[in-house]
Amino acid sequence: MHRLLLLGLNHTTAPLEVREKWALSADRQQQAIAAFRERFAGAEAVLLSTCNRVEFYAARAPHGGPTADEMLTFLAEFQQLRADAFRPHLYEKSDRAVVEHLFSVTSSLDSMVLGETQILGQVRGAYELSAKLSGAGKMLNPLFQRAIAVGKQVMSDTALSEGRLSVASVAVDHAKQIFETFADKVLLCIGAGEMAEAVLQNFYSLQPGRVLICNRDGVKAAGLAERFGGLPVPFDTLSEHLVAADIVISSTGSTLPIITQKQFKSLRRQRRGRPIVLIDIAVPRDIEPGVGELDNVYLYNIDDLQQVVSGTLASRRDAIDAAKLIVTKGVEEFLIWHRTREMGPVIDQLFKRSHELASEEVARTIGKLPNISEDEKHHLEDLARRIVNKLLHDPIKTLRESNTSHGLPGGYAHAMQKLFQLKDENDPPAE
Amino acid sequence: MPEVPTTGQLLLLVAATLAFAVGGVVSLARVWWERNDLRVFSKAMMYVGVLLSAIVLIWHSASRGSWIPLEDNFDAFIWLGLLLAIFVQYVQRSKPLGGLEWLVMPIVIVLMIAAGIFGKAKPHEYADGSWEWTHRVSSFGGLFAFFIAGVAGVMYLIKQNQLRAKHPSTGPKLGSLERLEHITYSSVTLGFALLTIGLVTGLVRVLTHSKTNLGIHWYTNPKVLLAFAVWVVYAIVLHAPINPTFRGRKAAILSVFGLFLVLGTLIAVQYVPSGGQH
Repeated sequence: MHRLLLLGLNHTTAPLEVREKWALSADRQQQAIAAFRERFAGAEAVLLSTCNRVEFYAARAPHGGPTADEMLTFLAEFQQLRADAFRPHLYEKSDRAVVEHLFSVTSSLDSMVLGETQILGQVRGAYELSAKLSGAGKMLNPLFQRAIAVGKQVMSDTALSEGRLSVASVAVDHAKQIFETFADKVLLCIGAGEMAEAVLQNFYSLQPGRVLICNRDGVKAAGLAERFGGLPVPFDTLSEHLVAADIVISSTGSTLPIITQKQFKSLRRQRRGRPIVLIDIAVPRDIEPGVGELDNVYLYNIDDLQQVVSGTLASRRDAIDAAKLIVTKGVEEFLIWHRTREMGPVIDQLFKRSHELASEEVARTIGKLPNISEDEKHHLEDLARRIVNKLLHDPIKTLRESNTSHGLPGGYAHAMQKLFQLKDENDPPAE
Repeated sequence: MPEVPTTGQLLLLVAATLAFAVGGVVSLARVWWERNDLRVFSKAMMYVGVLLSAIVLIWHSASRGSWIPLEDNFDAFIWLGLLLAIFVQYVQRSKPLGGLEWLVMPIVIVLMIAAGIFGKAKPHEYADGSWEWTHRVSSFGGLFAFFIAGVAGVMYLIKQNQLRAKHPSTGPKLGSLERLEHITYSSVTLGFALLTIGLVTGLVRVLTHSKTNLGIHWYTNPKVLLAFAVWVVYAIVLHAPINPTFRGRKAAILSVFGLFLVLGTLIAVQYVPSGGQH
């Protein structure tokens, strides 16, 4: 019998500066799951780390480890961070709330950009990584599989993902409001991280004339340039390429602006007043806000893009409602399925054990009655069976039909096992 | 022989103007209610307006016994309005540009009303010779191009405000800035060339025809000064690609300013005495 736990932070609870400290690369996720399994034997774990969220899903025996505090301590130690400093940004959920949350996440209802489809792939990636390491087992396997299925259903059955709503697609839409054709345009990408790549991917569909990748790490720039048929350019020639650029995507990890108003002003004459679109998706920002005040310069930062996205929420209210319905239904179905799966064996054991006890008592009684006829013997056995069935009827009915809002059945099942001395399938065999 | 428009022609012109007005209003309504039935209705009204205007032109030409266009004010204003309306329909058929209908229609309506008002005046004593006809055709051609440039300029400014407000997808759906800028420059280039021809031929006419009553100090005549001011404004706009100072917003503002100047010139022409005009 398992209980579910979730410890996490996301874009609504933690600013980017906090999120990026907790973020884990795929390699680090792998190491974390291995370390977790080593420390909490028998527990399951999936670690989801995206640019907007870091979430740690765990399943454990009702009275086993880890607790939420232990999960936090583990993660903090693993990331070499002070847990207390981040506690205000964290959320903890358990059992039903975990299921609801995960289903909302895969359905993109918990995303910064509602309806974005990337999250589904990210959850699938995190789950597959964990499953490969045997981090996801009896509890998390069906949970994540069902969550991904619900996410897919939301994307296919509702209009939530229509309109290509993501920060990257909004950036492309903005550029399309400024430029009519892209075959004669120069696209300059500053930085070679995941976000830059995601935005570049969207812009690449416009088939720009030239793609330039400018990054401090020349190897990364060359890799990205190769993927998009672009040209890697040295970071120290940025100003030169800003003169030629029509669209600039900037997403570096720099803590200071890399394009200042003064610098850009000095380039205006060389640019001959040509319009330019600057997409600054870095946090902290790469481009000084003053640059956007210059003539023929259209600067959009991550907040500007997200505001546009949130502005479309009202028009997609129906789609959101439809998605929520699918999620609610999915959660209920999963909980019922899980309850049945978890409670079925317990109920069977309870029946079996009770009837065994009754049979033993009937046999003992019959043994004390030497002249009992076969009919009387059957009557006694029937009586015992009916008493057992009647005694068990109400509690079992209550268990089967109890409201799923009470959460996963782990607690009930565990209580039943303890109260009636039933054997837990997960209990280690007696030494 | 030019002829004053008949009541029937004027009534038909009113009907055409109403059709354009309704089409424009319905097209504007589509900014808030993007419905296909509104689009179809607006388009139908535009076609009705074009058809009625064309009938008025044919009727007027037939009644005056000449098929040469621009022979009088009534004819010239309707031609200008009709060409603008046809241009709108052509653009919307080939590569639609949101907002074009409801921004051009007010100009078309003004031109139709002007045809009704100024067309009643004593018809222009049309100067003979190709100089005068070239002058009028090129000047009206230039006006047509400048109207387009002015409208594109207005659209550019609206679009730029949307982009600056960081919400380019809200409000009227106009074309991209690049397309609007391209329309502005193409129109200004065409208009500037035609206006230059118009000014030169006008100058030749002033200097060679005794019929003109602009006087010895013709260069101080408001009509001439306004036409020259229009020419200067568009000359500046045309410099935008080589002078970044006048690119984008400033070029758009200048073309809108030029549009008002053009309208002012057109009205001034009706009141300021000149060669044969009253």
